[in-house]
Order: sequence, then C-alpha cells, then structure tokens
Amino acid sequence: MLTYIIRRTLYMLPLLLIVSLISFTLIKIMPGDFLTLARMDPQITEETLQSQIERFGLDRPFMVQYWLWLKNIVTRGDFGFSFDTKMPVYRTLFLGNRLPWTVFIALSTLFLQYLFAIPIGIYSATHQYKPSDHIVTFLGFLGLSIPNFFFALVLLWMLVVIFRVGDYGLTVGNAMDMHFYGAPLSWAKIVNILWHMWPVWLVLGTSGMAVLIRLMRGNLLDTLSLPYVQTARAKGLRERVVVYKHAVRNAVNPLVTILGLQLPTLVSGSVIVAIVLNLPTVGRSYFAALQRQDENVIMAGLLFFSLFLLIGNLFSDFLLAWVDPRIRYD
Amino acid sequence: MKNALILAGLLVLTSLAVFGQGYPTQPADALIFPIGEAGTVYEDMQLGVRGGTITVANIEDPKGWNNHTAHETSTTHFTNRMHRGLVNLDHISGAIVPDFAKGWEISDDGLVITFSLREGIKWSDGEPITADDVLFTYNDVILNEDVDTNARDSQLLPDGTYPLCEKVDDYTVTFTMSVIYRPALNALSFNIMPKHKLADSVHKLNPAVPAGTFNETWTLDTPLSELVGNGPWIVSDYQPNVSVTMTRNPYYYGYDPSGTQLPYYDTYVSAIVTNQDVSMLKFRNGETDVYLLRPEDIAILLPEGASKGFQILITDQPGYGTTWFMPNQDIGLAEGTDNEKRELYRNVKFREALAHTIDKETMIQNVLNGLGGPQWSPVSVPSPFYAGRDFYGGPITENNAITFEYDPAKAAGILDELGVIDADGDGWRDLPSGDPLTIEINSNDNTVRIGYCLILQDDWRAIGLNATFQVVDFNTLVNRLFGASGDVIQLGLTGGDEPNSGANVYRSCGSLHAYRYSACDEPDEIDARIDELLALGAGTFDLDEAFDYYTEYQQLISAQLGYINMVVRSFQYAYYDYVGNAFKSSPISTPGGNNGLLMELCFDNRL
Repeated sequence: MLTYIIRRTLYMLPLLLIVSLISFTLIKIMPGDFLTLARMDPQITEETLQSQIERFGLDRPFMVQYWLWLKNIVTRGDFGFSFDTKMPVYRTLFLGNRLPWTVFIALSTLFLQYLFAIPIGIYSATHQYKPSDHIVTFLGFLGLSIPNFFFALVLLWMLVVIFRVGDYGLTVGNAMDMHFYGAPLSWAKIVNILWHMWPVWLVLGTSGMAVLIRLMRGNLLDTLSLPYVQTARAKGLRERVVVYKHAVRNAVNPLVTILGLQLPTLVSGSVIVAIVLNLPTVGRSYFAALQRQDENVIMAGLLFFSLFLLIGNLFSDFLLAWVDPRIRYD
Repeated sequence: MKNALILAGLLVLTSLAVFGQGYPTQPADALIFPIGEAGTVYEDMQLGVRGGTITVANIEDPKGWNNHTAHETSTTHFTNRMHRGLVNLDHISGAIVPDFAKGWEISDDGLVITFSLREGIKWSDGEPITADDVLFTYNDVILNEDVDTNARDSQLLPDGTYPLCEKVDDYTVTFTMSVIYRPALNALSFNIMPKHKLADSVHKLNPAVPAGTFNETWTLDTPLSELVGNGPWIVSDYQPNVSVTMTRNPYYYGYDPSGTQLPYYDTYVSAIVTNQDVSMLKFRNGETDVYLLRPEDIAILLPEGASKGFQILITDQPGYGTTWFMPNQDIGLAEGTDNEKRELYRNVKFREALAHTIDKETMIQNVLNGLGGPQWSPVSVPSPFYAGRDFYGGPITENNAITFEYDPAKAAGILDELGVIDADGDGWRDLPSGDPLTIEINSNDNTVRIGYCLILQDDWRAIGLNATFQVVDFNTLVNRLFGASGDVIQLGLTGGDEPNSGANVYRSCGSLHAYRYSACDEPDEIDARIDELLALGAGTFDLDEAFDYYTEYQQLISAQLGYINMVVRSFQYAYYDYVGNAFKSSPISTPGGNNGLLMELCFDNRL
C-alpha cells in the first residue's frame, strides 16, 4: 500500500514537469506580455519600458527563462515573484482566505451534489419511464446544459430585479455581507453565509448533478436486472429491502470512485462562477494574473490546478481499490 | 447596571482614543475648500456633517499599497486617497491649485519654482511633515534609478534632464529647471511619501538593504498599521477579492469654511467586483451609493431612479480621452510590400475621404445611446486648452473646429478624383493601378468599439471600398500598432488636461506616433511645425499664449488626420439622493472615481 502511494506520487513529478513546459510555451506564444498595457500609455517612455523588460527578464530567450524558472523551484523552492503585486507568487495566489474558501466551496458543493443526486437517481431508476422520471431527467439535463456563469448572472438579476432583495437589506454576490468578513463567527454570520452560498451551490451543484443522477439511475437499473436481485425478490423480501439493501449498495460503487474526479472539476470549474458571484477563491487571483499576463502567477496557478487534478485522480484510484476488492495495489 | 457602567466607561475611553488624535484646533495653515461661498465654483455645494460610510464598487483588487511603484489605477485608486502632493487639480474647475503647498512663486526667468509648505501638518501617525519628506520623495524615490516607477517619466524635461529639487528651510522647497517647461508644474502634483517610514527601504539611504527593496515595500502583505499618509483617507482593512476599507486620516489638513475637518464621511468602503454588470446590480440593490454608468445602463436605470431614490446626472459634457481609427501610413514599409496602398494612405486627400465617411450621428445614437458628441481634436474636451474654446478655460463654442461632415457622396467624389475607382467591374474600388484594394479594420473585443467599426465598415462598403472588420485580441492589436504591421486600426487613448501629455503620441518621434513612425526620420513641414508648437506651448507660463500655440497645434493635427477622431462619450453619473454634493460630479472628479477628489466633500445628508 505504502509503496503504491510512493510510486504514484513519484509518477506525478514528470507529469507536472510536462504540464509546466506546455504551460510555459503557451504563455510565451500568447501575443504580448505583462508590459503590453504600459506600451499604450502615452506617459511612459521607451527607456522605462526597457528597464522593466530587463528587470523582469523578458528579453532572455525562451529556454533560458524556462530553465531559470525551473532551477529556482528545484534548488530553492522559489516560484518567483508576481510582476504585478511584487509579492511571492504563492502569497499572490493565496492571499487572505482564498485557499480555505476554495476548498470549502468545492467540498460543500460535492457533498450537496451527492446528497441530492443519489436519492434522485434511485427514484428515477425505480420509476423508470414514468412521467416523474422524465421530469427529473429533464431538470438534470437543464442544469447540465445551462452555462454556469450565465445561470449565475440570471440568478443575481432575478434576486435584485424581480425579488428586490435589496428592499429587505439583503445583498447579492460575495460569500457573505462585507462587514462579516473580518467579524468573529456568530449565528448571524452563519445565517448570512448560508444566504449567500445557496446560489453558489445551486449554480455549481446543478451542473454536475445530471451526470451523477444518470450514473446512479443507469447503475441501479443494471443491478436491478441481475440474478441476485431476482433471487432476493423470489425470497419474498420487501421491495424496499431489495432496492436499498441489496441493489443500491452495489450500484453506488462507481459514484464513490468518481468522487475524486469531481473535486478538481469543481475547483477549476468554479473559476468563472467565482468571478460572477464575487467569491474570494484562488480562481480569482489566477484569473487576474491571466488578464495581466503575470507569468509566474499563471504558471503557479496552472501547477496548482494540475496538482489538484492529479491528487483527485490518485484519490479516486484509492477509493476504487477500497470499494472493489477485485482491484489490487500492484 | 454594572454592565451599563462598564459600557459607558468603555465608550468614553474609545471616544477619547478616537478624538484624542488629530489636531486640537484647526491648524493655521489648513487647506480650506470654499464650500457654499459665492463667487467660487463651490458655491452651489452644501456644508456637510461628519459621519457615515460611503460604499462604491470597483473592478479589480489593488496590487499593493506603494503609490510610486504602482502601475495601475486599481492600486492608485487607493493610494491617491492616502497621499497628496504639493499641487493638485481643482475638483471642480480642473485648474492647478495648491494642495500640500500653500502656494508657489515662479522666478522672473521662469526656471525656478519655489513652494512654501503648510506648517504644523502631520502624517497620519502624528509625525510632522516637512520639506525633508518632499525631498525624500522626489530625490530618493522618484528620481532613484533603483525604483521601478512610472512617475519619473512625467518629470522629464524636454532636454532630457529633471528639475533639481532643493530644500531652503523646513517649509520651503525649490525646483530648478534647465528650460522653461510649464507642464512641470502639473507633474509636481506627485504624491508625497513619509521619509520616517520608508527611508530604511531605500538602498541609497540604507546600504544594508539590497537595491530594489523599495519596490517590494508596502505590498499587500504589509501590516496596514504600517501605512502612513497625508491624504484624507488611510487604508484600515483589506479583504482580498471582497473589499478595501479606508478610514479618515485624523491629521488631514483639509477643512470646510465652518471649521469642520474633512472628509465628512468616517469610512469609505470599496467593494471589489469583477465586472460592470455586477457593479450595476449592486448599485440597483442599494449596496453601493454611487455608480459611474455605461451608455447601455441608462435605459435600465432611468425608470428605477424615482422608486429607489437615486438620481442620474446626465450631462452632455464629454469625458477625457480620444477614440479614433488610423490608416497605417507605414503599411508594408519594412517588408517592401503594399507600396501603392502606402502611397494612398499617405495621401491626405484619401484620409479626408475616409473622414467624410464617419457617420458620427449614428455612432452616437446606436452605440452610445445618444450620450456622446463628435470629436475632432487630439486634446480632451474638458481640458482648458481644448481648441473648441475661444480662450483658455472659456466656454466651448467649437468656432475653431476642423470638421469633416458625414458626406458619403463627397467621399466617393474624392476617391474618384484620386483614381480609386472600380477598374475591373467587380463592384469594389481598386487602386489607381487597377490592382484590387482591400482594407482590414481591426479592433479588440469591446462592444463599443465593435459598434463603431461595424458602422464604419458598412459606410465604406457602401461607397465601394472593400473593407472587412476583424476583431483581434487586444495584445495582438497593440503589437500591430507598434510593429506598424496593421492596416486600419481602431482604438482609443487616455487624455488629460495638458496637451503635452499627448506629446508621446503626436510628436514625430513619439513612441505612440503609430500612424507614421517613419515621420521621425523624415518629418515633413507640418510634422516639424507640430513638434515646434508642442514645445512652444509648454515653454511659457502665459496661459493665453500657450492656448494660441495649442490651438494651432490641434488644428494642424486634425487637418492632418493621422489618428482620425470619431466620437467621445459624454459623462453620466448615478448616486442615491442621500449622498450630499454628489450632484457636482464631473469628468474631472467623481465621488467614487479614480482621482478620488470629490469624495472628501460628499456627505450623508440623512445624518
């Protein structure tokens, strides 16, 4: 088991290296650089621009820049400075409570997705081809097909314009009212967070739920047609026991294994939603860096998201091996 | 009862802590804003009361707290509230007025400016502000090669030197210039930084720290209690991606005529949002108090104002900046291609034909929802030097305007004269030699610019010019502009009050002279005259004389049609009724704007 973990972790290193090289190439072939905006400013002279190009090392050849970037990470663990904030990149990416918020939003959405998707999937499978099955399936696909950012904007618009929540002193966007951010934890704060989080959960949750519902429904239907279920029914067990005790337990396995894969999707998928709904996540600082072509921060952000993806994969491999005894570690 | 006593005791203590700071009485050298005084531009404003919070929304987080190493308005939005300079632009009139300096004198030869500073004024931490702080900011920060700042560029004199800053006594400083250069006075509005807090991070003064340390000083990681300023506000709280809170500086030196220290508001909260749509929703939801609107917002906001209690200030006053398209007169020069097209673009008659095709009225109605005006000068309309005025700072009459009315038939006639006719009968005009003429218009992904370009494209196609509009990425567009590799590019530039701030654009060797970089090596008579007029206008302190030079300059530029000006948005601002004095918003200053000037005069009229 331990050797398996070590081996899998070591496999991640060359993968990250390849990711970093591809990312670096992509950043460099993007037109312009961090200083493009400054070039359009009539007040800035050519000499100032030139001194900044040298300061940031943007005049060096591509491979030299990549090599220096890599060397600093390997030898000193130094991911470099942000051109924009002049702080180390990890401070720029994670300033404030961005990391805890990112993890909280991803995990809570994941939890709610499963909480709703599994019962709905079961209901859908046990009521196959009935109108209620079609309605549930339709709603699931609706959630999947509406782009998240658009859904978020529509929701905000409805709250403000149709329901006029401002008249009741309710604010929109953000993870809570602004004055609560620095305040200690209290009931008022929790209630406030819940008010602000439900649109987030709705927007992020619905997009992944359709997949989970379909998966649950399909698996359960497969399982329900297996001989051992027939045996259970033949024994005269009640339908409830047949479904929940015998069928669901086996049908739910694949859903557990894709849990690890859902996590990175939520983290990277929430970037746009975090922008529309004003959530203080890592995605926000990453997006800001993308807009400004703040190279070191983009690189670190890409590595961060790739790391999340790799860890998610690793996690789902563990889960798979754990729930399915037929899988071996070696 | 016991609790109540403790509470009362605490209240007394906290009020002592709050009111114990600041000046015991109004300093003799306080800066008085003549609010409500007849005969001043402030006469229709009201005296306010202190207290309350004003909330605005801003796009983007600040990138640090260091004013002089900041390269973007998202940072200077806050640092400009935290620091003030020797002089400033008047909130209302836009004239240069004293700020931290009580006043200034210019020597008879025009080369030495002597500033007398306000005495007895303190930094927000209670330390006195003296000439040493001015010298530190100028000599050790702005002119320090170690410091990564854009501020140095605005100090540059035409002969490549910088003004020499010297201390006469604790409250007098002089700036000595090698040539007369009036815009130098504008540049002396640079924000003053506290020497006692920052001298240790300047390598020149403290060799123990490595060179460049100052660039990493006062970042977002710095404890906020370290930040010290002389402006009306000090940053007191920052929540990344959420908000910046600023609290009044107890030692700010601005007062109203009744002796009330400014600003009126206790706190200024800037909610950080990610786009304009959310910003507008927050205003409509009552979460923010003021909002600088876009043309497309007006139809949504107007019907709601009465029921929600907000006003929309609609002016026909145009804002700063220019919007233009430019045929690249150096097209194919480096590659040795497009010779005939380049000749055509260089022909001012051809550019006149293009200028007659700009349907400014449709652009204003369809793209700007009727909220804009035509533009013809390279100088922003609010500038007192704008040539549409009859004299310096006079009313806008447009008597001197060089205009090209929308007249497609006339444009077609000029093209016919130039031999740009449809030689092969395919429906499109060809080059005089008979080779096909195709024009590509480029702009970036911006709804307003796309709107302009589509109107332009349709009008060009209607008179037989085979034009296609292509949206390209902003950075690609900028690369084409600077690489002189574009065809026709549509963009805009920021503008200011001083025409010389555009010198880098219109001088023949300017780095933004993108319509014809080759003019630097081979300037014609007009290029030479433009260069001369810019220097003459800047080389006198006589504003009327400067105005005359600048008027000729603007007329020459406009007739030359290098950057062909189109239309400019007028100014609109929305504010809730309870924000006193917000009605005075103008392109020069708004309560929530980046200049941050009007904010200290606004107040909550419900208090």
